[in-house]
Amino acid sequence: MKTHIFALTLSVIICITARAGLKWDQTMIELHPTAADKQAIGHFKYQNAGSKPVRFKSVRTSCGCTAAQTQKEEVPEGEKGEITATFNIGERTGTQVKTVTVETDDPANVTTVLTLKAVIPQQLEITPTFVFWGQGEAPKPKTIVVRAAKDFPVKHLKVTSSSPDFQAKVEETGDGQFKIDVQPQETTRSIASTLTIQPEGSPKIFYATARITTAPAAPTAPTPPAGQTH
Amino acid sequence: MKFSLACQALILAAFSLLPGVGQAIYFRDKISWQSPVPASEMVTVVQARAWGGNAIWVDARPDNEFARDHVPGALSLNEDRWGELLPLFLAEWSPEKKIVVYCSSQGCNASREVARRLHNEAQLKNVFVLEGGWEEWLKKK
Repeated sequence: MKTHIFALTLSVIICITARAGLKWDQTMIELHPTAADKQAIGHFKYQNAGSKPVRFKSVRTSCGCTAAQTQKEEVPEGEKGEITATFNIGERTGTQVKTVTVETDDPANVTTVLTLKAVIPQQLEITPTFVFWGQGEAPKPKTIVVRAAKDFPVKHLKVTSSSPDFQAKVEETGDGQFKIDVQPQETTRSIASTLTIQPEGSPKIFYATARITTAPAAPTAPTPPAGQTH
Repeated sequence: MKFSLACQALILAAFSLLPGVGQAIYFRDKISWQSPVPASEMVTVVQARAWGGNAIWVDARPDNEFARDHVPGALSLNEDRWGELLPLFLAEWSPEKKIVVYCSSQGCNASREVARRLHNEAQLKNVFVLEGGWEEWLKKK
């Protein structure tokens, strides 16, 4: 009986101590790339704290814009390493959260989700980036509002229209804000223009689009005859 | 006996709540990696197909995946080349049409991001995200 108890205790101890396991320094990284950066790279460091090698079975990212690389396929006991997650910023703005799902043969921790958060600075906020008129609609000006970020002071904006069929007038409204009035010459035919918006002294160019759509103008309420009141 | 059974049931129920409570505490500071899209702005493959020619399909996947295959007639609009692709999309857009944005699968987020930008930045209406994305479209092909 004593032998049985000893064997059982020993096997439990062996099972517990032989457990492999990757210990991650952090599973969430927040990055603050500059406006000029094309990539944001996160290094997820780990150490095999167990007494068995751990093998990576798969490493998957949540987005085609993110790539993840392991340094090795198998991590011997006690060894350190890292998974590098590279997020291609492209023309994304604001806070971007991408994940890397790591699968190992460690039965205690088969799946680990690593999170890469990138806060991409937005130099100019342009609202809306698209103005349109229906065919036959009155060619009245429509306004695009541009707000500069606090850490991106803008004194002047240069706005050019790719088509002479649209005119764009810029007005500074103060506190880093501008108003762009866009007006078509006519709305009888389907035309479009790309508006190039460039802050003075900055190489960065922003865009907006103006267009006359083929769809007719939305019906408006009939104007009451002169003198008639409601 | 009855009391004992009720007690056991309560204890079991309490234990079953523990993982949920633990997860809520552990993830309380974590943020969701999916942009919130109201359920009303999600659309199934069947619903979107029923719109026929009244829908514009927008492929939010990277260029290489779009080049490999895409929904017939879909326009490519991804955030890698947003500034270049958006005017091309807007040239095809029409106010009466619904916009159906899709990415690879249920787990991807690109369609939500593209839909958000079309709605917030370009201020377009009738922007929908396809449930299950390209994978679901292939299944229902």
